[in-house]
Amino acid sequence: MFTTGFKLYFGIAVGLFIAAIVYGYSTGGGHVGPLTWGWKGGVGDHIGYVVLMGLSTVAGTLGLILVAFRDADPAAQAHYVGVDQLPSTPMVTGSVWPVVGAFGAGTMVVGLALHSAIFVVGLVICAAVAIEWSMDAWADRATGDPAANRELRNRIMAPIEIPAAGVATIGIIVLAASRILLNASKNGAVIWSIAIAVVILGIGTLYATKPKLNKNIIAGLVLVTAGAVLAGGIVAAVDGEREFHPSQPDDSAEEHSE
Amino acid sequence: MTMTESPPATETQSVAPVPSPAVGLYDWISTSDHKRIGRTWIRASLLMLLGTAVVGILIGFEQVDASSVDVFGGDNSYFQLWGLYRFALVLMVAAPLLIGLAMVVVPMQIGATNIAFPRAALAAGWGYLLGAGITVVSVLAGGGWGALDGVSQDEADAIALTLLGTGMVIVSLLLGAICVATTVISLRTSGMNLLRVPLFAWSMLVACTVWLLTLPVAIANLAIMYVDLRGGPLTFGNPEGSDAMYAQVAWVLDQPQIYAIAIPALGIIASIVPVIAGTRQIAHWVMVAFIGVFGLLSVGGWSQPYFANTSDEILYIAFGLAIVLPVFAVIGGAAATLAAGDAPVGLPAAHLLGALGAGVILLAAVVSGAMKVIEPFDLIGTSAHTGLMNLTALAAITAGLAGLWFWAPKIGGGFMPSGLGRLVILDFIAGALLLGIPQVVAGFFDSPDLMVTDIDDSVVDAMSLVSAIGAVLVAVGALGVILALIASMRGSGDAPGDNPWNGHTLEWATTSPPPVGNFDEPPAKVVSEAPLLDIADEEVDA
Repeated sequence: MFTTGFKLYFGIAVGLFIAAIVYGYSTGGGHVGPLTWGWKGGVGDHIGYVVLMGLSTVAGTLGLILVAFRDADPAAQAHYVGVDQLPSTPMVTGSVWPVVGAFGAGTMVVGLALHSAIFVVGLVICAAVAIEWSMDAWADRATGDPAANRELRNRIMAPIEIPAAGVATIGIIVLAASRILLNASKNGAVIWSIAIAVVILGIGTLYATKPKLNKNIIAGLVLVTAGAVLAGGIVAAVDGEREFHPSQPDDSAEEHSE
Repeated sequence: MTMTESPPATETQSVAPVPSPAVGLYDWISTSDHKRIGRTWIRASLLMLLGTAVVGILIGFEQVDASSVDVFGGDNSYFQLWGLYRFALVLMVAAPLLIGLAMVVVPMQIGATNIAFPRAALAAGWGYLLGAGITVVSVLAGGGWGALDGVSQDEADAIALTLLGTGMVIVSLLLGAICVATTVISLRTSGMNLLRVPLFAWSMLVACTVWLLTLPVAIANLAIMYVDLRGGPLTFGNPEGSDAMYAQVAWVLDQPQIYAIAIPALGIIASIVPVIAGTRQIAHWVMVAFIGVFGLLSVGGWSQPYFANTSDEILYIAFGLAIVLPVFAVIGGAAATLAAGDAPVGLPAAHLLGALGAGVILLAAVVSGAMKVIEPFDLIGTSAHTGLMNLTALAAITAGLAGLWFWAPKIGGGFMPSGLGRLVILDFIAGALLLGIPQVVAGFFDSPDLMVTDIDDSVVDAMSLVSAIGAVLVAVGALGVILALIASMRGSGDAPGDNPWNGHTLEWATTSPPPVGNFDEPPAKVVSEAPLLDIADEEVDA
């Protein structure tokens, strides 16, 4: 009934509990203080009592967990569910979301220290990761067939992911391009806008006229262009906008001072 | 099929279906294979080791002549990099190296097909990398764990980033620890009860449990400091500028907590020595018990000198003295096994050198710690604290390097260079001892922990010089490890075979490198702590 792990940890818990009570009384604890965790009287030396009682609680909790899970002994678990040998757990499929989640957490950390807008971006990334990760975890266990699991997952998530990714991509590119245009000079902004439009049109034309072109080439062109616009946008945002309206003497301020 | 249907019954099979082997950048960042995830941790921690060792050299030579701060350009810069060296050595090198090693080896040791929560392990690895990067960049940008000359507004942002980066590293370590501990608790193969778990896996379970119990307290410390810094008025810090912020979280680097980082070192020593000796570990259960006792005595979240002076508490003194016992017991057990076996005569292998060296360094650390808690020696607040930290962390790292050479066939599929390995590990052991012991000795001559003022004492000066030479040796060793790793990745050596050292535990029952899923067939029911020796004995009997 009681597993080996439970006996070990429960024994440790009882020993530490007794040690805590003895320590409490020997360091000036009240009548029933050490027995009632300080509810009725003092517990003596706080640090020693808390350390011993805390370790006792942890050991007791571990003991209860171990007895509940039968020491995680495969033979005991197989006996419990009435089979000779437990089936192996299917391998978890690879996912990029843990890495994205780590970057999201990193973005939140940087934002928490430097700027609230960066923090919000990190928060959004982490929220998206939480949803995607949960769906992946569910899909991994939906059926016994990995291909069917992938199909199920995509059937639910693709209608959300594709528009969301599209909106996010367009939004980021538009935001980055607008930072470039606001940073550039009056004539420079015109040249930049024409250049960006020409590149987008060029890639679209290439894909339309040569649909059998290697997909990696198209993807590479799109990624390089998007990366360049994004990098330019970040640099421009850091540098700030150009001065649109030269400052005028503030007449109202002079009036007030009079 | 609709989505509301119950999952079809999974056919009982020999091994779980496996995805195709990972290739390319995308597969590297999206992998769920514990070996690939563990390798990311190991490589990142070794790069951090090199950087930390370089900072250690600068600090060492600065302390040789503390009358003028030459290398860093000011007391505050010195203080910031002094703090970075300490936190990096413990939290960004030693702990991730051991977690990475465990992520690769522990699932195979217990006969599991993968680590528990592989995605969380992957996220933790990248979280550690980013957190470490943020911490380093923020310190170089003027941050750190406080400022000696007062906190300006610009510095406040950088300091906030340092605190949060450190927190991110600790959270990532804890996430990795959860994965490793859960693997040992819940994924053991048939017949492997807790007393039959290989000693490295057991030591990782103990270490991860202690880290999970104590390091959240450090996160709370960091959170309080962040709120203090941002919200004000400064409740715990010193607005006029001091090392008060560092002091609030310094307990992580002091005894008893610092010993928690070295718990896996005992497991690595006890895993390597019986294999070299070619015999079973003498009194295996005693080793299990003493590794557990060492873990228990390294629980240190309760001892925070900044908030309450615990140095004269009987518990603090008892912990500091008693921890010598399990280290002596484990090293004694390993030595007895080595003497009882038939270890080959000649040059010892790099991993045996590393295991024995880690034992010696750890012994020096716990003896130093025991002297530190004896009040008449008056070592509290002296450089003995730094010496103790260096010795303990470098013992853990040396053990990690020994493990790297020992389990190389299972980590990367080939051997690490043995000749270079001996040199590197000997250099590392010498460096660790020369770095740490003189700092402890200097403590007897009242050399302060944070030395930015000159001590007019020839012994302290001599000890500082020896310590600086030790720092150079450690850095050379770190560079050697990176070179050895690159050499092994080029794969020019001999194929190691499945069990080149005649290992006793299940990781040696699979191929080198192991396949995805680790085992082609589920391991046979385990009946002792050395299942491969059991098979060999059965064959001899037959």
